[in-house]
Amino acid sequence: MEDALLKIKEVSKHFGGVYAVNSVSLDINHGGICGLVGPNGSGKTTLFNTVLGLHKPDHGEIYFHNEYISHLPPYKIYERGLVNAFQIPRLFFNLSVMDNMLVAARGQEGDRLLNSLFLRNRWQKQEKGLIEEALDILEFIELEPWAFTPAAELSGGQRKLLEIGRALMARPRLLLLDEPAAGINPVLGKKIFQKLEALSTNGMALFIVEHRLEILFEYATWVYVMDKGKIAIAGQPQAIVDNPDFYAIYLGEE
Amino acid sequence: MDPLLYVLDLIVFIGIFGIVSLSLNLEFGFAGLANFGKVAFFLIGAYTYALLSQTGIPFYFCLIASALVSAVFGLLISLPALRLRADYLAIAILAFGEILRLIVKSEDWLAGGDWGVTVARAISIEGASHRVDALINIGLVYFCLLVFFVVIQLLANSPYGRAMRAIREDELAAEVMGKDRTKFKAQALMMGSAMAGVAGALYVQYLHCVLPGMFMPMITFTVWIMVLVGGPGNNWGVLLGAALVQIIERGTNILKDYIRFLPVDPTLLERILSDLQYIAFGILIIIVLLWRPQGLLKESKIRSKVQRLAYDGRRAAKNKGS
Repeated sequence: MEDALLKIKEVSKHFGGVYAVNSVSLDINHGGICGLVGPNGSGKTTLFNTVLGLHKPDHGEIYFHNEYISHLPPYKIYERGLVNAFQIPRLFFNLSVMDNMLVAARGQEGDRLLNSLFLRNRWQKQEKGLIEEALDILEFIELEPWAFTPAAELSGGQRKLLEIGRALMARPRLLLLDEPAAGINPVLGKKIFQKLEALSTNGMALFIVEHRLEILFEYATWVYVMDKGKIAIAGQPQAIVDNPDFYAIYLGEE
Repeated sequence: MDPLLYVLDLIVFIGIFGIVSLSLNLEFGFAGLANFGKVAFFLIGAYTYALLSQTGIPFYFCLIASALVSAVFGLLISLPALRLRADYLAIAILAFGEILRLIVKSEDWLAGGDWGVTVARAISIEGASHRVDALINIGLVYFCLLVFFVVIQLLANSPYGRAMRAIREDELAAEVMGKDRTKFKAQALMMGSAMAGVAGALYVQYLHCVLPGMFMPMITFTVWIMVLVGGPGNNWGVLLGAALVQIIERGTNILKDYIRFLPVDPTLLERILSDLQYIAFGILIIIVLLWRPQGLLKESKIRSKVQRLAYDGRRAAKNKGS
């Protein structure tokens, strides 16, 4: 698997004396949905944050598209198409839903100080396309009627949806999702996974942490099981389900 | 004194402090930087102008130099300061302003130390009346104000301004959404400082002199009142705030001139009136915070017209289709 999209090589991260992530190696391929499961505190979110550049790994290397990215700041990692949606939505609460979406678009011409003043025609043209794109996504996540309300006025589930929608706005090459189905009604949760599957067949790769295994295992093509900072089991969903160790890890009993 | 001159004088002051409050609005209202050292950059611009204009350089070069020198200091202070958390940043810049004031106060060779130096008016016409003089200054100040207003308004309504506001809302989320927060903040501090520098230059040339006593920390807080009362994130709002605060501040000063004729002990009255300013500020802040905590004018929206248009266009198309 030389040309894996994301390559994590023996990455460790510890806080004080506790290893949150302990020598984890894994590959994410182009396209497809990859799952990451494990009990609470097993290091899933820390692994995500390390990939995103929010934590620098203590050991090990991370490659994205064969490029070493562990030393890059988060905004540069994002510009390369590695995008994240937080478990607890971190929206820009005083901005409208629409503006939350537009902030996330990658490669905006008007993001630079001088461009925003002197190349107005260029970014205004780009902006029109982005608005249409944002409206498409908002329609899909059923937030279109709220396009102009401040994000602070959304309900808990809607915030979660906007967090995911915002990440999609970046047209990611690899999307890290931390519990996308949590707090969303089952029908829409399933619809989101269907949409994600459609996106993954179009070449977007997904790496998803999810506790609602029944949904995840239906769509994932490969699943990693994490326990105490290490990858304990890896395999296709069916193989994981059939593995007795999995129940021991997840349920904490034989 | 000529009553009309009072009004003209007030208009000049509103313009000068309008520029400073616009600059704080850029830093705090849009980028979320708690700059409690506004007066430092006001001072840098003022002294740059005062020293340069003595050499006989034309005033517009001096004004541009004031902007540039202040911007450089803004950038320099941003290097260590932006690593600090918001509250420590506020303390660090506040201290920076006081240090600068004490330096110009004790270094006599620089600009007269505590006694200050006189500064020539930018544009002076031989034999012109005070009124004409004030009118010329109004023209100069409001020209600068207009330029800055347009620039900030354009920025605030662009993707750049949106990114800035996102950083204000949640730095970390903005950073993982591809916004280089250090760069945005440093640029905000640089532009804000440049504007404050120009305002400082306009201030000292209008008052004909520069002395350290003109740059007490109270200036910073007055500008904060303007922004908070007017509405952070709204350029019209902060101008309104600047006008309100200046009317109170100048108004009480003018009152002092007239009250002398009343048959009451003048020293006592003057003392009461000096405090009246601060009492009025206090009441203003309390009223605004109670009834309109977001300021008199709400934060301005970003390019909402274009967004609405696209939204309504889709709505119409859908209705036709169904």
